[in-house]
Order: sequence, then structure tokens, then C-alpha cells
Amino acid sequence: MPSDPYRAMRRQIMAVLLAFGLVPLLAMGAAGYVANRAAIETRTRNLLEAMVKNRKATIDLFLEDRMRDLELVAASFTAEALTDEARLDGLLAQLRREHGGIIDLGLIDSDGVHRAYVGPYNLRDRNYSDQEWFEHVMVQGRYESDVFLGFRRFPHMVMAVRKRDQGRDWVLRATIDTDMLSALVREGGIESGAEVFILNRAGEYQTATAERHTLMARADLGPLPVHSGVRVVTRRSGGSTEFIATTWLRGGSWVLVTRQEAFGLSQLLNAHPAVLGVFVAGLLLVPLLGRVVAVARLRQFRAMERERANLFETAAQSQKMAAIGRLAASVAHEINNPLAIIDAQVGVLSDTLDDLSGVAEASEWRTRLAKIAAQVDRARKVTHRLLGFSRRVGPDIEPVDVAAALEETVSFVEREALASSIRIVREVERDVPLIRTSLAQVQQVFLNLINNAIDAVGAGGEVRIKVGAARDGVEVAIADNGPGIRPQDLDRIFEPFFSTKAGERLHSGLGLAICKDVMQSLGGRISVASTLGKGTCFTLWFPMEAEVGDVGPQTAARG
Amino acid sequence: MSDLKLLLVDDEVEFLEPTAARLARRGIECRAAASGDEALRELGEGAFDCAVVDVKMPGMDGLELLRRITRDHASVPVILLTGHASVELGVKGMELGAFEYLLKPVEFDVLLDTIRRAAALRSA
Repeated sequence: MPSDPYRAMRRQIMAVLLAFGLVPLLAMGAAGYVANRAAIETRTRNLLEAMVKNRKATIDLFLEDRMRDLELVAASFTAEALTDEARLDGLLAQLRREHGGIIDLGLIDSDGVHRAYVGPYNLRDRNYSDQEWFEHVMVQGRYESDVFLGFRRFPHMVMAVRKRDQGRDWVLRATIDTDMLSALVREGGIESGAEVFILNRAGEYQTATAERHTLMARADLGPLPVHSGVRVVTRRSGGSTEFIATTWLRGGSWVLVTRQEAFGLSQLLNAHPAVLGVFVAGLLLVPLLGRVVAVARLRQFRAMERERANLFETAAQSQKMAAIGRLAASVAHEINNPLAIIDAQVGVLSDTLDDLSGVAEASEWRTRLAKIAAQVDRARKVTHRLLGFSRRVGPDIEPVDVAAALEETVSFVEREALASSIRIVREVERDVPLIRTSLAQVQQVFLNLINNAIDAVGAGGEVRIKVGAARDGVEVAIADNGPGIRPQDLDRIFEPFFSTKAGERLHSGLGLAICKDVMQSLGGRISVASTLGKGTCFTLWFPMEAEVGDVGPQTAARG
Repeated sequence: MSDLKLLLVDDEVEFLEPTAARLARRGIECRAAASGDEALRELGEGAFDCAVVDVKMPGMDGLELLRRITRDHASVPVILLTGHASVELGVKGMELGAFEYLLKPVEFDVLLDTIRRAAALRSA
């Protein structure tokens, strides 16, 4: 039975089931995803907006406080007092203690010379007159820088205020702790996947962000428009989406940015772990179910196919037998007529010989004519057997004693067997039931099988016949101790015209085919077992009641 | 010792001639006919104790001849003899009134015996 069509069929069934199972599941998942995405997006945006607003207030406050500190110091002391570094140092210590956020302090005169400095760097006597911020503070009165390198070759930011004292301008300058600023920006309440930092107008980082960006490096956000309040934009690039919330600080010189990776499947699944469970279970269950159904359906298909094949085989066998029947009948007829002529002519010659008793050769002629007559007889038996094969029609069903029928059949052949010192042993059980079947046909089968057995064993052999009750019928076993049948022939011996017999007797090769046909038409069975060198055993089983009405192929053999 | 008169009908002359000779040798007066028409002519000319008729013949076949004999010469028993045997044919022949149905090649003794039995039935 070919397996490929079934594999293809199984694939198809699986595909259909998968489609029917997975499509709704995926659709449900997609719908859930879309609905949740909108909700989560809104939530994310709101969160971002609130966070940015809150952070802006904190940072503004920090920067304003530092500026106020500076202005307070500038207003509270004379320039002369501030040039006293010991005092300046005390002030710095106090500021750091009270608020923090300031790293150093310095006083610069109107020529830009750093007159007094307290802090970790060596900046005293530096001249700032050509620095842009110095000019700015002298004109504007106060100044906050971006993060820059300056003389100390290290990113930092400064704040400066102008102080008028006795007609002269001074500048009080402080370095703001950018680490503290960065920490302030980053600290607290940042959602996973979010990034918070400050950029200047040029788009350079003013605060460090989680070790990913260094100060003063340029961010990849491009120019950001100045606006009031908080603005949240959605940016999509290369399959990923992010929300960017911005708000401007310090009157538009800095911008506080929060980047939040847009909502993804992972967030959905984090939000609803059950969804993942249902989905995975569905994914596993649908193919499993598909397989179960496919296998069951295929089993059904296979059974149907087998049944059909059996029916077909039976029908083909019947047709074959019918054709053989017709052929046998016409062949027998064509041969019977010339045989009859030969027989008649031989008869006339024999009759004539009777008148020639005086002739010396008469005896030899008689012997030779007898041989011709014997051969005619032999051929006649063959053709009559062939016709017997084609002649079985509408068997008479009657109560049959199988053992008696067998005994009668054996009596036909026993004399011939004994002549070859072949023993025929009968083992008949007691209480073998009568069965309703066709006596003539049963005897035909017995005769064929017993003749075969006698042929097989040869002189001195033994044929053993057992008769006994079997389940729902009667069983007959006809065994010989002949040479046995080769395994490769065993399957074919019931085929018409198959014969392994060789030798002087003529065999049509139809004997066993007829037996099988008869047994089938009587609703019985015939089987064979054989061992090379040990012998062969044919087993017949007859039902209690033959199936009437099945006349098989022989009905076609007429005309 | 011609105690019995037989009509032998067969289209095979090669069969007809030696068989007739053998029967004659055994005291049976034998008229041979190679066709149904010929047989009917013979029947019209004289009385027969028995007829042996081949079934398969060109022209009028044995069954048709049997029908005519049972209709027009009901006293003549008919033995059907054919190389083409089937149970239906045999049953049909017997239904049409044949005395016996024999299969070619028939053993000569069987044929002889059958003829004698048929003739005996007639004289009885």
C-alpha cells in the first residue's frame, strides 16, 4: 500500500486544522494587542508628561537655588572681603554643607583676572577677559554656562554674578557639580526602557545618562524645537518606536529630554501574563489536536482502502476464474472431438485385429493400439476434468456426512495407491456433525487433494487424513510425507495453471484452483502448510451451512 | 444377427464411419447421417430402435433434431453425444426428452450399453 498519498493527505488535514485553529487565535491576539497598545500608549504618554513636568521643577529649583546662593554671597560681602581666600573658603564650605551642588568659588576683577579662588583646581590669577561668558556676565549681570571644558580641560558648568562695589565691577563665579545635576535628572521613578537627560541648544549632553552617553557628546535627536510646557512626540525608526518628551529649562537654553521605548509585545505580556499562557497553550494544543484528528481520519481511510482492495481482488479473481472456465470449456470441446475420432479409429483397428489371429504381428499391433487407446483415455480425463471445472452450477445443498464422503472418495483411489504401496491413514473423530453442503463438490475437492498427495509421496509414502469437528463447522486435514513445497511456490499454488508437478502424468495446473474456488463457493476455506523434506498439509474448513447462491465463475462457462 | 436398428448422427464423418462399423460388428444395424436433415430423411424412411445424436452440428443442431424426433417420432429414444459438455446442456437435453447424455470421447462399451438400454426401454 503506497504511503505517500497518505502523508500528503495528513499534511493537508494538518494544514487545514492549523489554519482553522491558529487563525482565530492569532486574530484574537492581534485584536487584544491593538486594543491594549492604544491604552498602554496613552498611559505611557501621560506618565512621561507627568514625569518630565515634575523633573523640570526639581532642576529649575536646583539651578535657581545655586544662583540665589551666589547672589546672596555677592550681596552680603564686600569685594575686599571676598578676596580673602580664607573667608571665601569658609563661605564655600558653608554653601556645600547647607545645599551642596557647588564645587568651587572664585572672584574675578573687571579686567578678567581671577583674584581669589577656592576649590580643587589651580585657577588663581587666570585671566578670563577674553572668555565669552565673562563678557556676558559683565553686561547682563548673571550667567549660567553650558557644560564646557574651560581651562581645566574637564567638562563642567559655571554660574557667575556681577557685583558692583565702590564703582568697580567684580564677578563672583562658581562651578556647579554636574554629577549632582546628572543624579538629580536621573533619580527616581524612571520607567524601564526610559532615558532622561538634558541637552543644550546644540544638542549636546549636559548630564550623563546611565553611562551610555558622555557629557558634551552630541545626541542623535537632531534639532529640537523650542516650545513652552511639555511636548510628547512619537518617533518611529527602523521598526522601533519611542516616545520623546521634552520641556525647556533656563529660558530656553537647555532642554530636558525623556526617551521611552514605545510599547512592545513584551510590555503587553508583562501587563497580561495570562494572555501568553493562553496563546502558548493554543499553539501547542492546535497541532496536537490536528495530529490526533489526522491520524484517526487516515486510519479510517486506510481501512476503507483495504476493504476496497479486497473487494477488487475478489472480483478480479472471480473474473479470472470465469474466463478460465470459458477457455477450459472451449479447449475441451475442441480436443474432445478429435479424441473421439482417434478413439473410434483405434476401435475399428482393434476389431479388425480380432479377425487376424493368425498373423504373427497381431499381438504386437494389439499392444500398440492399446497404448494409443490408453493415451486417448488419459487425454479424455484431462478434458473431462477441465469441463468439470467449468460445469459446476447450482450445487445441490444437502446434509453431508463429511467422514462418509471422504471414505467414499478414498475408495476410488485406494486400490491405485496400494498398488504403489502408499498407505492412506484415516483419523476420524467421533461425533463429527452433519453439515449442509454439496456432496459432489466436497468430493471433488477431496479427490483433487488426495490425488495430489498420492502423487507427492510416491511409492512407499503415506497420506494421513484427519476429520474432526471445528468451530462452527468441520475441519479436514490431508497431509502427505512427500518432499514439500518450496516457500516461494506456496503463495502461488492456488493460482490457475500453476503446477510444480513434473513427470509422466499430465497436469492441468487447475486442481488446486478448482479446490479453492469450490471451497469459496461453499463458504469454506482452504489453507496449506508445508515443510521442505517433511511434507505438505492441506486444511479444509467447511461451515455448518454452505452459502447457497454463490455459484462463482462457472455460470459463465456455457455455450 | 441384426437385432437392433440405430440411427447415428454426427457431422464428423471421420467419427461416423468407424463408429458405425464397430457397432455393426456387434450386431447393430447402423444408419449414419452427417446432418439433422439427413437424419430426418432416414427417420422418414424406416423405423429405428434408437438414435445417437451429436449436439453441435452446423445447420440443425442436435437439440433441434431431438425436438423434432420427440415430436414426430416419439417412439425413438435419443442419446445425446457431445464433446461440448455443460450441465445446462445436459439438463436441457434431458428436459427435451433425451434418454441419456454422453460426453465424447465416450468409452465404447459405455456407448454400447447405453444404446442397448435405450432400445430395451423402447421394446418394453
